[in-house]
Amino acid sequence: MKFSKQVVTSTPLEGMTTHIVSTGVKDVVTFAGSFLGGAQFGPTSNQKVSVLMAAMLDKGTQSKNKHEISNLLEDVGAEISFSSTRHHVQFAGSCLKKDLEIVIKLLGEQLQSPSLPNEELVILKNRMIGVLEQSKEDTKKQALIGFLSSLYPEKHPNHRITIEKAIEQTKKVSKKELKSFYKKHYGLGQFNFVAAGDVNSGHINDLLENRFNRWEQKKTTINDLLLGGHPSKANEKRINITDKMSLDMYIGQAVGIDRDHEDYYALMMGIYILGGNFSARLMQTVRDEQGLTYGIGSSMAGTSFGCDGYWNTWGTFSPNLFEKGKKATMDQIIKWYNGGIDSNELEAKKTTITGSYQVGMDTTGGVVALLLSNAERGRGVAYLDQYPEKITRLSLDQVNRAIKQYIDPKKLTLVSAGSFKQ
Amino acid sequence: MPPKKANTFDGFRFIKKSGGIEEYKLDQNGLTVLTLEDHTAPVVTFMVTYHVGSRNEAIGNTGSTHLLEHMMFKGSRNFNKEKGTAIWNELQNIGAQINATTWNDRTNYFEVVPSKHIERAIAIEADRMRFAFLNDEDRQPEMTVVRNEFERGENSPFDVLDKNIWATAYQAHPYHHSTIGWRSDIENIPTKKLQEFYNTYYWPNNATVTVIGDIKKSKTLKLINKYFGEHPESAHKIPEMYTEEPKQEGPRRITVKRTGKTGVVGIGHKTPRGLHEDNYALQLLGKVLTDGKTSRFNKQIIDKGLATSVFMYDFPFRDNGMFISYIFLTPETGHRTVEDIVLKEYNNIIKKGIKKEELRRAIAQTRASAAFSRDGSYAVASALNEALAIGDWTYYTTFMDRIKRISTKEIKRVAEKYLIEDSSTTGWFVPQKDQATQ
Repeated sequence: MKFSKQVVTSTPLEGMTTHIVSTGVKDVVTFAGSFLGGAQFGPTSNQKVSVLMAAMLDKGTQSKNKHEISNLLEDVGAEISFSSTRHHVQFAGSCLKKDLEIVIKLLGEQLQSPSLPNEELVILKNRMIGVLEQSKEDTKKQALIGFLSSLYPEKHPNHRITIEKAIEQTKKVSKKELKSFYKKHYGLGQFNFVAAGDVNSGHINDLLENRFNRWEQKKTTINDLLLGGHPSKANEKRINITDKMSLDMYIGQAVGIDRDHEDYYALMMGIYILGGNFSARLMQTVRDEQGLTYGIGSSMAGTSFGCDGYWNTWGTFSPNLFEKGKKATMDQIIKWYNGGIDSNELEAKKTTITGSYQVGMDTTGGVVALLLSNAERGRGVAYLDQYPEKITRLSLDQVNRAIKQYIDPKKLTLVSAGSFKQ
Repeated sequence: MPPKKANTFDGFRFIKKSGGIEEYKLDQNGLTVLTLEDHTAPVVTFMVTYHVGSRNEAIGNTGSTHLLEHMMFKGSRNFNKEKGTAIWNELQNIGAQINATTWNDRTNYFEVVPSKHIERAIAIEADRMRFAFLNDEDRQPEMTVVRNEFERGENSPFDVLDKNIWATAYQAHPYHHSTIGWRSDIENIPTKKLQEFYNTYYWPNNATVTVIGDIKKSKTLKLINKYFGEHPESAHKIPEMYTEEPKQEGPRRITVKRTGKTGVVGIGHKTPRGLHEDNYALQLLGKVLTDGKTSRFNKQIIDKGLATSVFMYDFPFRDNGMFISYIFLTPETGHRTVEDIVLKEYNNIIKKGIKKEELRRAIAQTRASAAFSRDGSYAVASALNEALAIGDWTYYTTFMDRIKRISTKEIKRVAEKYLIEDSSTTGWFVPQKDQATQ
């Protein structure tokens, strides 16, 4: 049976869509959901308002303090967590089937009546600053921040601010800003809820309807559509971090298209053949044959919700082998660009992608992740069955044309971070 | 002809059943096979666990179990680059998730595959069990790959501190060194040593095959017999590791100073071997201390803004283990402050025990985790792999029943017995200012 036929899609309330699938697993339920209220909707001067707002959701409600919330969940071994992405406020949870009602009731309360206690905000900010300080010594994170801040201008959703700036913004967030942000964006409208496991869709929809029927409708919409505006130029940057035994490196460029573009899958396939998994070119040559790295790969990212995304190759190298590793990586990129891919590679990776899609649905967590990302993009569940077909239909010519059209090896940005050999 | 019994299959002896999982022995060579049919998704996890880990290494060859695990992907008799049947390609081209891991007591190789491709996974694992290529020309580039893996670990203050705490706490027993090994051993171990290691431990009678998911048992066992049945049992007895750690007679301390931003405190206490009865109570005590926002350390350390995170681990190993709490400090917090809080809390539990509601909560958390350990074929195979490592796969299937029997009195007793200063090892990672930017 097609996967989409197993999913029950409903609209229990205006502005709320649910996608629920019963799998064969016993007793457990995994769920997740989201609505628009991520960093893109916060004040332009402070990206951390949305992050802190989401993180404050488990710090207290109008009727429960944070310990009472935790007691309720931990008494039944359940979990609910909240986070903020570039566009969404996301929640995720898991519990035993018998405890679902308690958990959804609490989720409703946390989302609809957060108390935002001042003292908790102070503690949270202090912790977040600590985590940010720690990330200053994370070579991979530092290289990625440097890479994305080189590719995109400050207001672009794919731009990354420096850690210093993130600390500064975290310090400035006030309760007043959180309240105002909450009022403007938190509510129904584009609210998605997905669940998988030992579930009954009717029961879940009833619980949600019951717990969210008084929540306000919000009119937040995505309006990025920033396609094609970021021509790349060749540049290289090094970020020094003392006493690190391995370096991280990003190479790539903005590609100017988003996930809905007609060339998206052809380009994605080309990049996957370069470095999508262990049997792809980069791991087979730079790691397996030459032994220059523990990990190297290539992917496309930042393409959702109308954003002009980027492709990148990431690799990790010993300082002594960095120059050699960089050259070996560039050799592969140039060979790939000049010679394109061949039909054997294309056919092999088609079955890789379609097979791994099936394998990914082996757990409730895998099913929920797939359903939510599909729902957030505004696609019906039928798309989940069409995806493997889209991959299977790609032609060699389409993929090779996409590589030539969107990649330019003469204009690559390269950022590396770590302790460089003197 | 009388009908066959449900668990009778040609070439196999049925051994036992627990929690829906069945154990068989392949008559030909003593290979153990665990099976569980579950048709939730059209997916199967196939895993081979070798009963060899870094506990079987000695000075000079630390890290060799792990390096050998890497070499096992370089090709074997029927699956290799020359034939156009390289292991990674054969499996990833069908969408399989494939990998291998090494730890103290075991090495495992696994494939999560669409169920129609199960035969390919079985054929590959059987082939490399006895016919792996272990050539020096392959070891050279793989050594630098593994060395880079080691170097990535050294980038992390936690990894560095954890290695140092184990190396200080365990002096004779091979848990002294981490699974990745010491850098100079990774660089210099001769290929001949890796071949010897392979020829000593990689035999069907020292391995367990686990196959979970969308299978038909009779057909799958037939395939296992077809491919693994060609191997003989080892002609030698698999060597036992006999070194025991002498009793620790006083607290130990270490400090690691490196350029960085993160102060870390780790406090470890020695625990008994994984299958010892006391471990069930220690597992629950760990939850009371650090699992969830209601845990004691979360309330006393995180809620007060003294640390960015707190966690503890007490993995059951085949031999003795360690009950270790780790605290990652916020920028202004001193190491001594959190160390005092942790030790004061240990003493509180030794003196007063824990509350019934804390125990009830820890059991509820464990019950939910146990249910989720059945979510997906890989989750089951992975849990069985760790149980096999400590010496008994039914540890996984009976775990919840044993946990439910633990009382607050038991927890107080194990705290008194194991959280004592004389068997402790405390480590501080003290970040140093970057001289280059001063």
